[in-house]
Amino acid sequence: MEQLMADLKKQIIEALNLKHLKPEDIGDDQPLFVEGLGLDSIDALELIVLLQQHYNIKLANPQDGPQIFKSVKTIAEYIRANQPS
Amino acid sequence: MAIYIKGKGNISPQQTWGDSPLLETPVLANGNRFACVEPDYTQFMDVRQLRRMSRILKMGVASGSMALKDAGITVPDGIITGTSYGCLEDTGIFLSKMISNVEHALNPTPFIQSTHNTIGSQIALLLQCQGYNQTYTQRAFSFENALLDALMELQETPAQYFLVGAADEITDTSHAIQQRFGIFTDEHHAGAINGEGVAYFVLSGEKSSQDKVSIHSLATFYNADETALNNGVHQFLADANLKAADIDLLLMGTQGDASEEAVLQSTAGSLFPSSAKGHFKHLSGEYPTATAFAVWLAARMIETQTVPESVSIGKANRPLQRVLIFNSYFGKYHSLILLEAC
Repeated sequence: MEQLMADLKKQIIEALNLKHLKPEDIGDDQPLFVEGLGLDSIDALELIVLLQQHYNIKLANPQDGPQIFKSVKTIAEYIRANQPS
Repeated sequence: MAIYIKGKGNISPQQTWGDSPLLETPVLANGNRFACVEPDYTQFMDVRQLRRMSRILKMGVASGSMALKDAGITVPDGIITGTSYGCLEDTGIFLSKMISNVEHALNPTPFIQSTHNTIGSQIALLLQCQGYNQTYTQRAFSFENALLDALMELQETPAQYFLVGAADEITDTSHAIQQRFGIFTDEHHAGAINGEGVAYFVLSGEKSSQDKVSIHSLATFYNADETALNNGVHQFLADANLKAADIDLLLMGTQGDASEEAVLQSTAGSLFPSSAKGHFKHLSGEYPTATAFAVWLAARMIETQTVPESVSIGKANRPLQRVLIFNSYFGKYHSLILLEAC
């Protein structure tokens, strides 16, 4: 889980071009949207594509997005629970 | 009717922003590609806003900010942009991903930002400007049409401030494709340098005591031969109630390009025998909206009453009251833009 979260932080920084941040700047439970990292709706779409490209996971129900993309930890938990074996 | 230049911002292959004197140290192209001298964009926007922007968006937002700051305006009444190529970098990324990802899992950002109107929209979003917003994309008449729209809008309602400009970029892919087509490489285009640039102006129909330069009129001629071009220039001058001798400087958009040089040079020489002549495309490179660079240059020359050595062909021997930009884009698109001192 720790390794998965570390990978995710690097991938988020690269995919969203957050050059002003280092992986260690992003807390595991830190909110990603609005008051946290300040991500927006286009970033949410980029995160959906990231899951598909890196983990082969297609978000079945977009309504689940806000819960899944709450923090790095919630994304990692979703990947663990849904990654194809 | 004239419209008044209240502010200007220009990012080009020359040092055209900041406080340096006009073309103090001209940059010459090395090879057949001329890239912009870019500022530190964090002066103009937050790093979080910058992260998603491609180069042309950054250049557009920065030069728009420069023009607004120069004019002392926070939010304009409208934004009008001319661009021939649009946002090429994002278009290239999106199309490449379409191929590499076999049309699956495509990143939304390059797709959203690949459209031509992204530049004007991005400026409007950052400024929260909900006024008129239009983008013109008619190849080498894109800037001229943006300017014409501004002229017409400001004629109807002079007491407005419009941010009007043009933007075009070179990318590695676009340069490679243009070279493959023989543009900038073959014998007909030898001497032309691929250029890029973004210039914005704050324009208004209301004159103030601080104004130094106005844009008086413009005309475009598509696919005109020498006779049609001659007639067009005569008509343009007649419509402006001017004689050829009233033009103090003819600023020509030729680039040593065999396909265009002859017609423009011949027309310019025969119609404007007494006007001083200057060139600008060895400073901007050739691109469809290079006339925006020429308007910036002409305005600066009128303001400062100087014609830099890198521009002039022989010394101008009288004050610069009127500068006429006479552009040719590969011999097919000709345009005239007249600027006057206030």
